[in-house]
Amino acid sequence: MIIYLLASILVAAAAFVVRGRRTLYAVGALFYAVQLALLTVLCCGAAPQSQAGGLFVFDAPGTLFYGLLTLVSIYAFHHSEAYLKASDIGHLRTYSGLMMLLTTAIAGAYFADNLAVTWIFLEATTLCSAGLIYYRRTAPALEAAWKYLFVCSTGIAMAYLGILLLAGASHGGSLGYAAVGAALPGANPLYLKIAFLLILTGYSCKMELFPLYTVGVDANFAAPAPASALISTGLVNAGFLAILRVYKLYAATEVFPWVRGVLLAAGVLSLGVGALFLRRTNNYKRFLSYSTVENMGIAAIGLGIGGAGVWAAVFHVVCHTLVKSSLFLQMGVVRQVYDGYRINRLGDYMRINRVGAVGLMAGMVALVAFPPSPLFVSELMILSEAAATERWWLLALLLLLTCIVIYSFCSRMIRLCYQPNQDQLHPSGVDRALSWSALSLLVAALVIGFWQPALLQRIITEIATL
Amino acid sequence: MILPLILLYVISLVYLAITERFRNFASIMALQGWLLFLVALVRLHAIHPAELAFIACETLLFKGVLVPALLFAVIRKTGISRVRTSGSSQFRSLLLSFAALVVSVSVTYLVADASADRLFFGVALYALLSGLVLIVMRTRIFSHMVGFLTIENGVFLFSTAIGVEMPLLINAAILLDILMSVLMLGLFFTKIDRTIHAIDADSLTRVKD
Repeated sequence: MIIYLLASILVAAAAFVVRGRRTLYAVGALFYAVQLALLTVLCCGAAPQSQAGGLFVFDAPGTLFYGLLTLVSIYAFHHSEAYLKASDIGHLRTYSGLMMLLTTAIAGAYFADNLAVTWIFLEATTLCSAGLIYYRRTAPALEAAWKYLFVCSTGIAMAYLGILLLAGASHGGSLGYAAVGAALPGANPLYLKIAFLLILTGYSCKMELFPLYTVGVDANFAAPAPASALISTGLVNAGFLAILRVYKLYAATEVFPWVRGVLLAAGVLSLGVGALFLRRTNNYKRFLSYSTVENMGIAAIGLGIGGAGVWAAVFHVVCHTLVKSSLFLQMGVVRQVYDGYRINRLGDYMRINRVGAVGLMAGMVALVAFPPSPLFVSELMILSEAAATERWWLLALLLLLTCIVIYSFCSRMIRLCYQPNQDQLHPSGVDRALSWSALSLLVAALVIGFWQPALLQRIITEIATL
Repeated sequence: MILPLILLYVISLVYLAITERFRNFASIMALQGWLLFLVALVRLHAIHPAELAFIACETLLFKGVLVPALLFAVIRKTGISRVRTSGSSQFRSLLLSFAALVVSVSVTYLVADASADRLFFGVALYALLSGLVLIVMRTRIFSHMVGFLTIENGVFLFSTAIGVEMPLLINAAILLDILMSVLMLGLFFTKIDRTIHAIDADSLTRVKD
């Protein structure tokens, strides 16, 4: 792991100093060669599980999410090349270097086997993301970067206080997940509750979950679309995995039912906020960001329900990664055509770019969980589990909010594809190859909707086992 | 020795809630930096001397000197001196601060856990709530930064309670301090004021639905 981190950081550092675009792309290729090399080592099981004296672990959740991260990051880098071709080399190399550092920091958070190490890497993602958000150097970008930096820093400081409380509860031993998990069952319940609240609140800014979801929405709005694809999936997954690992620590404690209740409340509130703001916003990127909030709400509800809901939550997050990154990359192409994201003015996309429009419509079908969407599988499992545990109020609320989401998605996407366009088209035209490329991610998600490989099921079962 | 330092620290938190002059904010941050330096010296005397020296130097230089200097520089550059457009009256801020103090004391009493120093836990909780009160009740961005620094100081204080066994934790807290505080203060100092001309959080409204 240390070799991987050093190699990735060195290659990313090289991206900051290169002089030409070709060299920059070569550095990018080298960076992703490093990522693929690690992925190959992980898939072959050629590395010992515990790494760097127990600070990292090559386990099932880390490997699964790292595979997804590598995939999305390669797509994002490839799309950035075309999306930012008009940018000057100085900005482009900063952007590329930060994308690589963000990918590395997220990977570090995935593989961390220690509460403090997870926290350090999540902190590092804040720095890299803030740079990407400020890429355009405009006043809104600066405002979004400032808000992101401020709220994430405050949240992450709160999470750190929670980690310190867990460290106190584990009687000053190690902060490794296994050691803390073993020490928690005998700890003071109120102490554990405060620690969980602080950690959940702090990490909610990364997972784009209630209460600190707003900064994620602003970040996705201001960052270039390919960077948004990475932030809204890879980084969100890092927040999810961090919360999932803490959730599993609490499984053996007496406050676990309370923890699940808190996650249920946070999930329902996120779903509610996401559903309502999907109706309100007038910007397609914010629209997709609120969809992320809504989907993370569903994942949190899965964790809150427990049982099969945990499996469904992990599966939901895995599939959401593929669908949402595809849609953000499609939005990058939309911006090439219209030079903006205003919902009330854009239209006629089906005529202008049929492949892109089909990609958006198919993405809509996937996100609102119509069969054969993989999200249909996970949402059905969560609804079934809610019914099985006789939470009828939750079932009714989920169905109501899902209806609002479906209506919002259908009306907005159909409007983009078919309503008369009211904006001037951007002279750069359409790059249909990018639309095809983004569509391929969606196809992968739909294949998982039809058929879940036994290996994927086994890995998710291993992750969901408490 | 620790108790008077902690008491002084709590008084500085109460004073933060009622003061309206930014120079006082910066001075209190400097005072807290020095108090944390002394607390770290007294509390961590058992750890390795090299680690103690590093932590003490960092606390003094960074929290006691650099951050207050940056805050004073921001005050000079922006020309703002007080919370002119306070979101609440001083009395309400004081009331909220006392409510935060009561909550912190109550929670600390209820926790009654011997695994962490209860005094440190209670004060850290009060610092967290005080910082949040500052962020929520004040409209000036400068006050928000002070709120964040207050939370950070509280976290650092609590890390000294745990860090006798795990100095790594204190080092991680230092990492948070240096990276985020300098970046935020620097961003405010060089970009926010110059590009957006915003000193009130209310004027940061370009990014919205």
